[in-house]
Amino acid sequence: MLDILIRNGRIVDGTGIPAYHGDLGIEGGRLRQVGGHLNVDARHMVDAGGHVVAPGFIDPHTHFDAQLLWDGQARPALEHGVTTVVHGNCSLSLAPLKAAHRPRLVRMFQQIEEMPDAAFDGAFEWTWEAFDAYVDALRGRLSLNVAPLAGHSPLRMWVMGEEAQGRAATPDETRAMQQLLRECLEAGAIGLSTSYVDFDENMRPVPSRYAHAEELDALCSVLGDFGRMLQVVPEFYSTDITIARIDQLAELSLAHGIPTTFSPLFDSVTMPANVSRVLDRVAEQFARGARVWPQVQTRPIDISFSFEVASLFFVTQPMWYMILRLPREQRLAAFRDAATRKSLIDAVEAGGSSPWGELRVRDSADASLIGRTLGDIAEERGGSPAAVMIDLSVEEDFGVHFLSASMGHDDPSRVGPTLANDLVHVGASDAGAHIQSFATYGDTGYLFDRFVRDGRYLSLEHAVRKITSETAQIWGIPDRGLLKPGAAADVVVFDPETIGRGAELPVTDMPENGMRYVRDASGIDAVIVNGEVAWSAADGYTEATSGNVVLP
Amino acid sequence: MASPETTETAIVDAVVSPGHDGQAVLVVRLRHENGVVDAVTLDAVTAEKVLEACNADSPDALRGQPWTRLLAVMDD
Amino acid sequence: MTLSRQRGFVTPEPNEDWRAIAARVLPAEPTDAAIEKLRSWNLHLLARNPPGEFTGSDVLFVEPPLEGTGGALPGLDGVPGDD
Repeated sequence: MLDILIRNGRIVDGTGIPAYHGDLGIEGGRLRQVGGHLNVDARHMVDAGGHVVAPGFIDPHTHFDAQLLWDGQARPALEHGVTTVVHGNCSLSLAPLKAAHRPRLVRMFQQIEEMPDAAFDGAFEWTWEAFDAYVDALRGRLSLNVAPLAGHSPLRMWVMGEEAQGRAATPDETRAMQQLLRECLEAGAIGLSTSYVDFDENMRPVPSRYAHAEELDALCSVLGDFGRMLQVVPEFYSTDITIARIDQLAELSLAHGIPTTFSPLFDSVTMPANVSRVLDRVAEQFARGARVWPQVQTRPIDISFSFEVASLFFVTQPMWYMILRLPREQRLAAFRDAATRKSLIDAVEAGGSSPWGELRVRDSADASLIGRTLGDIAEERGGSPAAVMIDLSVEEDFGVHFLSASMGHDDPSRVGPTLANDLVHVGASDAGAHIQSFATYGDTGYLFDRFVRDGRYLSLEHAVRKITSETAQIWGIPDRGLLKPGAAADVVVFDPETIGRGAELPVTDMPENGMRYVRDASGIDAVIVNGEVAWSAADGYTEATSGNVVLP
Repeated sequence: MASPETTETAIVDAVVSPGHDGQAVLVVRLRHENGVVDAVTLDAVTAEKVLEACNADSPDALRGQPWTRLLAVMDD
Repeated sequence: MTLSRQRGFVTPEPNEDWRAIAARVLPAEPTDAAIEKLRSWNLHLLARNPPGEFTGSDVLFVEPPLEGTGGALPGLDGVPGDD
């Protein structure tokens, strides 16, 4: 008897071959049969109803490090069909970490992930210092699979203490870091992450940025002994620097026989040749035998702001920008003043235009306003979008947040072909980070919605391959990403006509009612992790804790 | 605006762009001494300092300013 | 496989400052002039915290951006260096 039998599926197996109809049988956490008609009993039956049956999606760039310790489902990633996440990116991981260094690393995490204090203080018990003990702390509570990276910054802190953020490592310190990394890799770390751009809460570069080339080379020699990944965050806002980083990564890849990946790579009107120049260089390096995978996210980039700080969104409106830089009380008084209010509105609407109508309310004490455009609200209340922006901000004591959507990486005719490129690694979701600024969930649904269904830049099979078997192959994740007999039973069932991402919404589901933005999934029917149903549209999240730490 | 034959690196223009973290950034484009244009990205705090150093009330007013004005951010 | 030419760069050695790097990469230039050139080519190191200070992993360009790498910048049609 099978554990699960999925009938009447449109099987997209992750290899990229054309979809075919058939059944899928699961037993003991493994795929027993893929395709054909199965006339056997099963403890649990799933009628796919002709919908797609695919391998579970793999998200290679997340920051679920802390969340996984109180939420082994990594909500809402799982309901979007994600069955494996890589965390510990951007040089930051929660292990290896000495107890004395916890407050310092937590502040770095908060700077990057925008998590409330409560997320680290009381939401879980710190039971580890070494990497193997952290892996043990994760086991048993996971509903999806995780592939943790060891972060270069805590590695440096462990060996160098306070001086990790200030100087080059000595040869002895470098050797100590090598040994520490070796222990992490033996305990199951899928690789090493480092960053060239991140700052701590005091705007000091994170420790990894103080490493000279010799140190990173020495660490990569250890990665080479295991054939594991080096992940970096390059200066993505400059094409020339990104290309310099590609060349550095290529040399490390060739010297030590390791895969490398950098994220993110963006398309932008301010750097129109960025993607083409970067991909040309990546192609040259691949032709030499180097492995340097650029990660490209599917979703566009938004700008969000409130009147609490002077956003550069207003920099082209001198009067607005000037007032927004005033001390808080003066700023509030200025926006309340009728004459100033009129001048501000007139400045924006000079020439008879009425811009900002497409801006949306992202967060407000009045839940009925969230998600609505300023144009829509202006029509209801009277006045103009600019007037509505001022009035709402004053009414809510600057508590209302606005969203200017799709301001970059937003042209499907440019992003679509990039995602389809064989040298591009679809990723960089950043899921679990920036949680109080925007939602980092649902990129996989957006891929199918925007670039498969709407734009047809990728076939259904190609898109599935991109976020399943290709990801597994790039990262050396064994046994996942394909629907084939004997493989781990990570499966997602979805409707290709409706899969997508929902609206961005504020919720208070972090520890002690901490706020974050999320997106619900649409079109996902069921998500199976290691042979157990972890989420279904009918029943939501289940009690299953069948996730595991993926050992490369 | 700086002319193509200018030998000193100068600001061509500046535009608002979305940053990776959802905040707006200012992308300042400069023409170098060899005539090639590239850009430097400023966060909100640095952009404010640069605008003040250039006595500019908007990004348009940065046009033609010498690159050395950007050094003002170093002097704080 | 021959790699196409890209903008030249170095990384700082431990304890190097602008003066030391200028002497290393532009030895034929007067030091102050070399520093000015390096700074103008490396504004990304100035427009950040700590401004103008190096970290070990930094990329320092030793020449201006290369011809043909500017991209088709909006509103800059015909500007030399755009392609």
